[in-house]
Amino acid sequence: MTSATTVFSPEAPAMQRKEQQRLRIDTLKDCVVGFIDNAKPNFNYLVEDLAELLKKQLGVKEVIIRRKRAASIPALKSYIDELAGCCDVVITGSGD
Amino acid sequence: MAVEVCSSAFVPLGRAQASALGYSALPIAVVPHPFGTVSREEVRVMAQECVTQIAEHACAPISAGSAVGGQQQEPVAGLCVKLEIPSAPDAFTAFNKLAREKRWSDGLPVVPPTVERVEAMLAHTKRARNEVIARLAPAFCAATVESIAINAVLAGCDPEYLPVLLAAVEAVAAVDFNLQSIQSTTNPAAVWIIVNGPISGKLGMNAGGNCLGEGVHANASVGRALRLLLRNIGGALPGDMDRATHGQPGKFSFCCAENEAKNPWEPLHVERGHKATDSAVTVVGAEGTMNMCTLAKNADDLIRVLADTMRHAPSNEYVHGSEPWLLLCPEHADIINDAGISKAELKRRLWKESKMRAGVMAAEDFERTQASRTSELGPIGPDTILTISKKPEEIGIVVAGGAGAHSVYIPCFGNTRSVTRRVMES
Repeated sequence: MTSATTVFSPEAPAMQRKEQQRLRIDTLKDCVVGFIDNAKPNFNYLVEDLAELLKKQLGVKEVIIRRKRAASIPALKSYIDELAGCCDVVITGSGD
Repeated sequence: MAVEVCSSAFVPLGRAQASALGYSALPIAVVPHPFGTVSREEVRVMAQECVTQIAEHACAPISAGSAVGGQQQEPVAGLCVKLEIPSAPDAFTAFNKLAREKRWSDGLPVVPPTVERVEAMLAHTKRARNEVIARLAPAFCAATVESIAINAVLAGCDPEYLPVLLAAVEAVAAVDFNLQSIQSTTNPAAVWIIVNGPISGKLGMNAGGNCLGEGVHANASVGRALRLLLRNIGGALPGDMDRATHGQPGKFSFCCAENEAKNPWEPLHVERGHKATDSAVTVVGAEGTMNMCTLAKNADDLIRVLADTMRHAPSNEYVHGSEPWLLLCPEHADIINDAGISKAELKRRLWKESKMRAGVMAAEDFERTQASRTSELGPIGPDTILTISKKPEEIGIVVAGGAGAHSVYIPCFGNTRSVTRRVMES
């Protein structure tokens, strides 16, 4: 008979985790879109171009852009509250 | 709804982070990596492709079986999972095979956290085993007393080291430390642990020769245990949520005590409001070590060359106004102190003499500096003189090491501040 040794897993204890449901919209036409610019090089240009394309090609009504001071800090809570309160879609960025 | 734009190399981080925060369905639009170095015209081309992805993601049907909304809950009783591993031919080999498969190790063999070993570790704290000490970014899983003890065993710690680790975990989770960014950055950010007070002597921690090197069990295993916690609880696995370009050897272990016996000034924890008889742990988001070998005998000359070493253009310190550190050897500390210069005055001198003209930076770093420091310094032009930290007091000074005229410059991650926590001995 093979004996066994009891050990602990070093991972975190089990969580009762619930997933947030993904939301969707039918169309971007007449929507308000928010951007949190992560302050990485070129992301400001991408945001600028996307804002123009979203309005011209997809009929987005308004684009609101808020820029972080630096990539390695969280967005200001005031930005998050503002965009969550008035936007249909919020777009953020990650990477170099 | 939310959409994330990721450069292709960062999609694993985006997916893992979203999953960790309970939003694994987060839509991600991808731009080619590297993104930050392409031309303005190339960005325009990428934007056209990206806007199509955004529209598709925003309006895509939701697949059946999506979970209902909700927040993460507290851990169930905070108890870690137990496993059975074969005892023959030997449990050590069986456990290490499992640890490799599960990525529980830093790459070196680990000590199997048997029930007996973990219970012995837990005997060195009065805190409840299911108490949540902190949630560790970027996975934000719960570091309970028990899970900290388990990882301490894994790293090879003696049971007496547990209180130091509990304080270190509290410290890295403090908001000012910015663990989220330290864990997921491309920078070579490691956590440097500095131990002060009587516990460093009790545990036999090395504050003298080779204090940042190998060879002393307490230094090596405490530093290693925190790293294993940052992986196994914090979720910072290289290539997934840890996006370090190179990393650094300090990510295996980076821990020393301050050499209080040879420090001519007040020790770090006293400077930060603790009693000399208290024990404390300070954590620093450190980017590496730069040796400064100088046989200078004159304090002014010595301070000048230390400041010259700290000043360099591709530095997070100057971009953000940060918290650089000097680990002074006792011989250098004595030269400065013997000239009648206090620790506070040394900081002022280093701050003043390490100033740098903004125009020496690369154009993109200059722009980052403008974005990060305009609120602090006002309009920044090429002739603006940048300080290494916002205030002289933010330069960290620790005295440690053995004989020899070598001090160490330890630059920090940038948007981080060191945190000190008292060690509560049982």
